[in-house]
Amino acid sequence: MSESEKENQTTHFGYQQVGVEEKAGKVAEVFHSVAAKYDLMNDLMSMGIHRLWKRMTIEMSGVRQGNSVLDIAGGTGDLTLKFSRLVGKDGRVVLADINDSMLKVGRDKLLDKGCSGNVEFVQANAECLPFPDNTFDCITIAFGLRNVTDKDKALRSMARILKPGGRLLVLEFSKPTNPVMSKIYDTYSFTALPFMGKLVTNDSESYRYLAESIRMHPDQETLKGMMEDAGLSRVEYHNMTSGIVALHRGVKL
Amino acid sequence: MDKQLLALLVCPVCQGKLVYKKEQNELICKPDGLAFPVRDNIPVMLENEARTLTADERLEK
Repeated sequence: MSESEKENQTTHFGYQQVGVEEKAGKVAEVFHSVAAKYDLMNDLMSMGIHRLWKRMTIEMSGVRQGNSVLDIAGGTGDLTLKFSRLVGKDGRVVLADINDSMLKVGRDKLLDKGCSGNVEFVQANAECLPFPDNTFDCITIAFGLRNVTDKDKALRSMARILKPGGRLLVLEFSKPTNPVMSKIYDTYSFTALPFMGKLVTNDSESYRYLAESIRMHPDQETLKGMMEDAGLSRVEYHNMTSGIVALHRGVKL
Repeated sequence: MDKQLLALLVCPVCQGKLVYKKEQNELICKPDGLAFPVRDNIPVMLENEARTLTADERLEK
């Protein structure tokens, strides 16, 4: 692709169209703004349910003692903390995030919780991960893929660095399966979320972006197809909370 | 800079080996001519944050 073609290409940032080159910077602003209150906001917005979604992800990961795990867009480290205990001293967990504010909040939190020794931190872009082929037993990306500009490229990059037999788990907002739930959820997302964002972080725009970006994200079947196209096999998904969130899992054979 | 992590990282552009330069606290990819900074003990493996190597740096052994 020539530079001029690249400049003319657009992608979505919530409901806005922005240049492909602009999206990462705009997403970065959102996360610099919310990093300090990220955990509190997750608990408030999901009424604590995000903890169950993450627990399910850990259970489906099949991670055990001695494994190497990569937590992409790991942010404030909820999954990393649990993986660090599971893999033990012979294992390794790498927490990667493109945003340095989020990484620093995550590192401080993990240190406070006494988690060290088997956890490493790297600032990286999911589209071009700085690891050799066939490195990890498991890769997770929880509430991160939505914010990536080129999702297909990111999925291919993840598949590349999984070991044969390794699993990729994508936890992400998805499409509600129940029409009544869908209505309630829409009202909640576009009124309550920006309001809470305004109260807690004095930033309603970031939470409007959250609600919009969820609507723009591929639905369950589309994401399944994208994972298969990236070279993953046995791709399946589990809807949680009526499909507000879905957990996709694929294996590299 | 953590040795274990260092051994694991490759260039995000070409997936080639990196050389750690202690004096500058950077990870160097000679073929791409890029130096990735380590900030606050966290390697920043982003192409747009990397420094372009000077001609001299690219030539030196």
